[in-house]
Amino acid sequence: MAQNVDPYHAQRANNSKHSEEGRSNTNDSHAVTKRLQKELMSLMMSQERGVSAFPEGDNLFRWIGTIAGPKETVYELQKYKLCLQFPNSYPYTAPGVKFITPCFHPNVDNNGNICLDILKDKWSALYDVRTILLSIQSLLAEPNIDSPLNALAAELWSKPSEYKKHVLDTYKQV
Amino acid sequence: MDANVDLKKSWIMIKHTFPILDNNFNWPYAQTTDAQLFETINLINRFGLNATIKSLIISKFEEHVRKFVVPKFWAFFTTDINVGEGFGNFFKAVDYLYTFFTNHIHLIGNTSLLCNSKPIYNAENATDSLKLIIRATLLSQLPLNYNKIIEEFYETALKLENNDDTACPVCGNEPECSCLIYFHATNSKLVELKLLEPLCGQVLTSLIYGYIESYINKTCKDNFDNSYIDALEKWLDQFIINWLRKVYGCDGSSELQEQEYKQKLTNLLYETYTKVRINQLFNIIIEYPESSPALEDLSKCLPKTDLRPLLTKKLQKAMETRLLHPGVSTPDILTAYVASIRSMRILDPSGLLLDVVTQPMHEYLRSREDTVRCVVSSLTEEGPNDLAEELVKGDAVHVDETAASDEDTENWEAWMPDPVDVDPSKTSNIRRSADIISMLVSVYGSKELFINEYRTLLADRLLSQFSCDTEKEIRYLELLKLRFGDSQLHYCEVMLKDISDSKRINHHIKQDANYTDNSFPISALIVSAQFWPPFKDEQLELHPKVLSQMETFTKSFEALKGNRTLSWKNHLGVVDLEIELKDRVLNLSVTPVHAAILMRFQDQDDWCLDRLSRTLHIPPIILRKKIRFWLSHGLIDEFMKDCFCLVEEHDTNVPNLNADVVLDDYESESVMASTQDQREEELQTFWSYIIGMLMNLDSLPLERIHQMLKMFAFQGPTIECSLQELTQFLDRKVREQKLVFSGGLYKLPKNDML
Repeated sequence: MAQNVDPYHAQRANNSKHSEEGRSNTNDSHAVTKRLQKELMSLMMSQERGVSAFPEGDNLFRWIGTIAGPKETVYELQKYKLCLQFPNSYPYTAPGVKFITPCFHPNVDNNGNICLDILKDKWSALYDVRTILLSIQSLLAEPNIDSPLNALAAELWSKPSEYKKHVLDTYKQV
Repeated sequence: MDANVDLKKSWIMIKHTFPILDNNFNWPYAQTTDAQLFETINLINRFGLNATIKSLIISKFEEHVRKFVVPKFWAFFTTDINVGEGFGNFFKAVDYLYTFFTNHIHLIGNTSLLCNSKPIYNAENATDSLKLIIRATLLSQLPLNYNKIIEEFYETALKLENNDDTACPVCGNEPECSCLIYFHATNSKLVELKLLEPLCGQVLTSLIYGYIESYINKTCKDNFDNSYIDALEKWLDQFIINWLRKVYGCDGSSELQEQEYKQKLTNLLYETYTKVRINQLFNIIIEYPESSPALEDLSKCLPKTDLRPLLTKKLQKAMETRLLHPGVSTPDILTAYVASIRSMRILDPSGLLLDVVTQPMHEYLRSREDTVRCVVSSLTEEGPNDLAEELVKGDAVHVDETAASDEDTENWEAWMPDPVDVDPSKTSNIRRSADIISMLVSVYGSKELFINEYRTLLADRLLSQFSCDTEKEIRYLELLKLRFGDSQLHYCEVMLKDISDSKRINHHIKQDANYTDNSFPISALIVSAQFWPPFKDEQLELHPKVLSQMETFTKSFEALKGNRTLSWKNHLGVVDLEIELKDRVLNLSVTPVHAAILMRFQDQDDWCLDRLSRTLHIPPIILRKKIRFWLSHGLIDEFMKDCFCLVEEHDTNVPNLNADVVLDDYESESVMASTQDQREEELQTFWSYIIGMLMNLDSLPLERIHQMLKMFAFQGPTIECSLQELTQFLDRKVREQKLVFSGGLYKLPKNDML
C-alpha cells in the first residue's frame, strides 16, 4: 500500500525510478510547492460542488479533503473527510489518500485505505486533487466488487437495505 | 601667696595677649609686641597650660564665629531683597567675612604658637586652620535659599561681562563703573577663603548651563540654513571658558582641572544644541534642502551625544502630531516622506534611523487609499518634482526583500557594523541600498500594486485626453521600465500602442470608400480589453443616428481587421457639439451621456424623466444629475416636476450659472473601476479560500484563517489583507449568515456544506 509508506522513503525509491529527470531535489520540491499552490488556487476558484480540499496546516504537502456522498446512493447527504499526503515527487507519484471518516465500502478497509487504480499503477501526472476527489466520489457510487478490501461490504453490495444499514452505522462512528 | 599674685598677673598678661579670652572681639585689638608675646607664651608653657589655653581660645573663637560672624554673613542673604540688590549684598557679605578673616589671622597665628607652631586641626598652617573654622561654621549654618543671591550675583556679573556699551546693569552708571572690580575682588576673596567652590560651584555650574542653553536657543532657533557648531564652540572657548577663568582666576587650579571643566561644558554644549535641533527636527526635515547645514550639524553631534533614542522618539511623536493625521493631504505627506528620507540619509548613512523613523509613515501611508495614486501621479507629473527627479536618476527597484545581494563580500574592507541599537532581524542590505522610489514602492510591499495603479492612472489620462500625443507618456514608461523591468510594464506598453494604432486605424477607415460619415465624423479609441484595466460598466442607449454611424464604423473596421470587431463603450468618450438654437449657437465638448440627452430633445421638445430614463437606459437619479448640466446652461428647463423641455429662445434675464463647476464635478470621476471595487473582488477570492479551509478543517480561529490566507492565498497581484480588514470581512459574512462564529471559532453553517 503505497499510501502507507513514509514519503521520505517513497521519494527515495522514486528518485531512482525517475532519475532520468535529473533535477535537483530543491528544485523539485519548489516545483511541487508551486504545483500544489496552483492546484489549490484552481480548486478554490472552481467553486466545484461536492468536493473540496485544503492544506491541513502550515504544511502544503498534507491536505484534508472533503467529498459529499454521491446523490441517489446510500452515501447521499453524508460527508467524508480524507487525508491527502503528497510525496516530494508529486505529481510523478500519486499522493497517499486515506479516508478519515470511517467508510463502509468494498474498496475501503477499516483503516480508511482505498483501493483505487488511479492512486496506484494507473496514476498519471495529469491527475490532480480535484480529479482524485471526484474519482473517489464516483468510486463510492460504483464500487469495484472484484477486488474488495472490505469483503463484507462487497458481499452486501447486492443487498441494498442491509448495505445501507452498515453504511449508516459506520458513518455514525464519527 | 607669691604664686597667687603671680597667677593673677599672669592671667592679665595672657588676656592682654589673647583678648579673646576676655570676650573682647573689638577690633583693633591691643597690640602686643613680639617680646610680650613670647613672654606670655613662656608663661603659659611654664604653667603647662598651653593645651588648655589653646582649646579655650579656639572654643571662644569658634563660639564667636558661630554666634555672631556667620549669622551676620548669612543675614545678607535674606530672601526678600529687591532685584538688583543681590549683587551688592553678596559683595558686602563676602567683604565682611574677608575682613573678619584678615583681622583674625594674627590671633590664630599666635594661638598656634602655643603648641610649638603645630597647626590647629591638622591644617597646614594657622591661616588654613582659620579658613577651616570659618568654612565649617559657615556651611553648617547654610540657609535654605542661599543660592538665590549668589545666582543673582553671577548672573549680573555675566551680564556685566557681556555688556559692551550700555550702562552697567548693577549701578546703572556709565560703562566704566567699579562693579566689575568689585566682582573680581569678591571672587579673589572667595578663592582665598577657599569658599568659591563649596559656596558657588553649584550655582555657577547651573548658571553656566542655563546661560549656554539660552544662548543656543537665542542664536540657533528657527534658523536652519547655517552651521552653528563651530561658532558655538568658539563662543564657548572665548566667552564662557574665559569668564570662568576670570572667576576662578586666582584659584591656582591646575590646567588639568580646567581641561576637565571645558570638556564638560563642551559636552553640554553639544547636548543642548542637539536637543534644540532634535526638537525642531520636523521643521528641519520639512525645510530640506535649505536646512541641510542644520542636519549636518546634527549628524556631527549625534555620535558625540547619547541622544539617538530621544531623536527617534521625538521625531516619531512630531510626525504623529503634525503629519500623520487626516488633516494632511497625501501629497504633502509624500513630500515630507521624501524630505525625511533625504535628510535621514545625511543624519545617518547606515539607514537605521531612516528605518525607524519612516516605519510609522509607512504604516500610515498604507492606510491611505490614494497613496499609490499620489505617488504615481507625482512621478509622472510635469514641472519640478522630487519624485520625478528621483525617477530619472534611479536604478532598478529591489522590492523583493529576499533578494539580498552577495556583493558585500567583495567589498568587505569597507564594511561597517550596524549601530548597536539595530534590530538584528533586519539585514542592513536593504536599508542601505534603498532609494526613495523603491522605498515608496515598498510601502505597499509589491511592485504589482504600484504598476496596477500606474496602469489605471495612465488609462484615465489617455482616455480623458483623447489626443494621440503619447510621446511624454512613452518617456515616463521607459523610465519606469528601467526601474521595474519590461515584463511588469508590458500592459502599459500595449495601452500606449493602442492609442497610436487607433490613430492609424481611424485614418484608414476614413479613407475607406465604403465608409461615409454623413451625419457627423466619428473616431474611435480602440483599446485591447485584455490589457486595459477594467472599465466601470455603465449603461447608455445612444441615439439611433449615432448608433448607425457607429455601425458603419464597425463595419469598416471589420473589413480592415478581418476577424475582429468593435465592442463600443457607449458611456466613454467626448462629443463636440455645435448647438444651434433660435437665438444663439453654442459650441461645447461634453460627455456622451450629456450629448445623448440633448439629442433626444432634438426629436421631441419635452420629455418626462421616467420616459427619458427608459429610453436612455440610465437610472432616473443619475439622469437627473446629468440633466442638471443642461439646466445650468439654460438649454433645458424643468417646466414642471420631472418634466423637461428644450429652451429655444433664451430669456436674457436668466443668470448664467457657472457651468464650469458642473463640469469639474463630472470630470473628477474616474472611468476606471475604483480601487474599492477591485478590493471587493480580491476579498471575494479570499472568501473562496476561506470556504475551502472551513469546509475541510471544520472550524478555525481568526488568526489561523489569516495565517492560512497569508500562506496560501496572498500571492501574485493580490495584496495582503490585514487582520483588521479580515475581521470586518468575516463579521460581515457572519451578519449575512454565511458564517457562524462561536467560541472564538469561525465555521460554515451546517446546511451549507458542499
